[in-house]
Amino acid sequence: MAQSLSAYNITKRYGGVLALADGNLDVRAGEVVALIGANGSGKSTMSKVINGVVVLDGGRLLLDGGPVHFSSPQAAKNLGIATVFQELSLIPQMTVAENIWLTREPMQALGLVNRKAIQTRTEELLALFEGTFKTDLHPDTLVASLPADEKQIIEILKAVSSDPWLILLDEATASLDSRQVQRLFELVAKWKEQGKAVVFVSHRMEEIFRIADKYSVLRNGRTVGEGDIKDINENKLVKLMIDKDSVFAFARTASKSDDGKSYCLEIKDLKTEVLRGVSFNVREGELVGIGGLQGQGQRDLLLSLFGDVRFSGEVKLFGNGSRLKHPRDAMERGVALVPGDRAKEGLLYIRSILENLMLPSWKKYGLPLKISKAKNDSTQVGASLNLKMAGLQEPVSSLSGGNAQKVVIGKWLMRQPKLLLLDDPTKGVDVGTKAEFYALLNQLCDEGKTILFYSSDEEELIGLCDRVLVLHDGMIRTELSGKNLTKENLIAASLGIEGGAE
Amino acid sequence: MKRLSWDLMMTRYPAFFALIFLVLAVVINFILQPNMLSQETLNNNLRVFLPIVLLTVGQAIVILGGGIDISVGATVSIVNTILATRVGLDGSPEKMWQFMAISLLAGALAGAINGFFIAYLRLQPIITTYATSFLYGGFALYILPNPGGGIPASVAEIYRSWTPLGIPLAFYVMGTILLLWWYLYSTRFGRFLYAVGGKAQAAYETAVPVTWVQFSTYVISGLMAALSGIAITMLSGSGNAEIGAAMTLTSVTAVVIGGTALSGGIGGVAGPLMGALTLGIIQNIISFAKIDTWWETLVKALIIVAALATPGFINLFRRRRG
Repeated sequence: MAQSLSAYNITKRYGGVLALADGNLDVRAGEVVALIGANGSGKSTMSKVINGVVVLDGGRLLLDGGPVHFSSPQAAKNLGIATVFQELSLIPQMTVAENIWLTREPMQALGLVNRKAIQTRTEELLALFEGTFKTDLHPDTLVASLPADEKQIIEILKAVSSDPWLILLDEATASLDSRQVQRLFELVAKWKEQGKAVVFVSHRMEEIFRIADKYSVLRNGRTVGEGDIKDINENKLVKLMIDKDSVFAFARTASKSDDGKSYCLEIKDLKTEVLRGVSFNVREGELVGIGGLQGQGQRDLLLSLFGDVRFSGEVKLFGNGSRLKHPRDAMERGVALVPGDRAKEGLLYIRSILENLMLPSWKKYGLPLKISKAKNDSTQVGASLNLKMAGLQEPVSSLSGGNAQKVVIGKWLMRQPKLLLLDDPTKGVDVGTKAEFYALLNQLCDEGKTILFYSSDEEELIGLCDRVLVLHDGMIRTELSGKNLTKENLIAASLGIEGGAE
Repeated sequence: MKRLSWDLMMTRYPAFFALIFLVLAVVINFILQPNMLSQETLNNNLRVFLPIVLLTVGQAIVILGGGIDISVGATVSIVNTILATRVGLDGSPEKMWQFMAISLLAGALAGAINGFFIAYLRLQPIITTYATSFLYGGFALYILPNPGGGIPASVAEIYRSWTPLGIPLAFYVMGTILLLWWYLYSTRFGRFLYAVGGKAQAAYETAVPVTWVQFSTYVISGLMAALSGIAITMLSGSGNAEIGAAMTLTSVTAVVIGGTALSGGIGGVAGPLMGALTLGIIQNIISFAKIDTWWETLVKALIIVAALATPGFINLFRRRRG
């Protein structure tokens, strides 16, 4: 069994984006290390470096002091490094026992799988979480029939069953209830005694202080702080996670008094599978930010306002109650959505820029085809967005990320929308184009358009928005505006630290 | 909750409904043909059903692994034309055994070609095997452009009327196949097969040799198609390059009736085997009830369309309600 794993000066690039610039981590047997960082700080990349899911571009990885190279997750696994994946690696059509022991089945004579041994060993593993299951869980229960938390537990047991020396828990507590978390932490304490090491990736501050011995903080792909958890407190950790000097100067328009204007959007008790009752109002011409950690219901909120996700509750658009059953309903009322995954949801990559721009407005340019009018309008929108392209007939795939995103916004501007829903629009967009975006958003607001803007980049929210609603676990945790709208408060609220908004 | 127990039923006892269908078909057939269970009639029926049973078993293994093999019928034709042209009506039994071995190799090769394209080049199973079905079918026509040729009567007679201990040969063959399947199912390969068919990505992350497992299912299917070709040649005693063409659809239908999901990872081989027998009996019933034979294809196609559409309808229904 290995004793330590160290990573020094790790760099990792995804295309043009530098995800890790100088990542460091040091784990020793018998220790729990918390890996902490804000959205996009490189924390998930760092854990993928440790478990061999990605191959690193630079830096050194040392196992017991000697250099190692993980070419695949399997290579890391063979060296005793097991990962509990947040996106589970279970096969729904197979039973709990079959899943846990897949590829490591105990065998007997003639190459037959020893089902009795599988059964008893699975029962031993399940006993670790005994009493925390809501369903009647047996080794031969189908994984497909389990609720999310129990699937997560099976994923944990699957990692443990290989008897690793290092266990990487990637947001493993996110879907567990408090009793299950408690049991997991008791196990972590036991593993420590047995000389196992644990890397704990979590957003929950309270949990980090409960079980971690050491911390390692990442910020913009660099390790900015390491040490013993007893030498630090929550506030200091949050400060470490925050970038002091902002990269952009935001051309923020002075906060106008909006009180006289009517409501453009009124939402009462909006519920979906993810959202658990969200209520707020937005005035005309307001730029409202939505913050919080990734996956707290932001996407569901925007999609339900666009009629793409079923919801219950009341939504009033421009003063009228709205039946939003289909994106068509939303579009007819002047709502536009810039989706989070522009490659999959926003654009037809192999088709021309012109076709993409015309797509939501076929009624206007369609039957009979008014192609010259479409070209004129497209050229105009392209110019107003400063779209850099070789021509309207070029495919969207020929554009850079930032310019492709301009096409997504442009196709909606051709319809003169009144309410824009933006789902992390600056993701993977270069710095120069980002600045243009910010100017554009301000200009649109000045023209009286209303914008609801989710971003995983806290600085954007602070720099651009009049106020920011912080979502946490499907609910609005805090609303920040004016003096309270600071990065510290925003991150504290995102992480669910009480009193963060004070 | 109801849906849950249905899922459980289908995954735990996939052959359950196949058994009900089979019993039902047997009862109806028995009413129409009271001497059905006499040794001679039983043997007459089973020797006709056996080729499709063999083909279905191979198809079931491919489908369990998440694929489909549309080229099996053409492989049957290749084997049939090889035997009918190379052995001949006046050939010796030794020559027959020799070319049976060559036929098995040809079947494995046809399967390996499919497997290479699908597992290693990651091509769509249904498109790939549809394309190779024309390749193999064309090859069969090249070997034997017009129906003809044959195999020695003495060898054919073994297949047609050998009933050791008073039990038809087909029972021994089916018993052997079920035993072999049970063995395969109980090995690590069996687990891998279900894992790959269930969720290939998760299987890959768990270090299951996904590519190799997919490849091997097509080789098995090719081998089973060759066995099926040998059986149908011994049954008919002559060669015809079109002989396997209609068998592909029947094998897929039998798998579906047998409770093995077309999406992969759920079911087994016993169910499809019973499904193949059921389809054979339905054919009997149709001829005894003096119904036009074109109904048979229509019924088979309806079964497949219904099986494909059912999950879609269930989803649509849930969306409407939810």
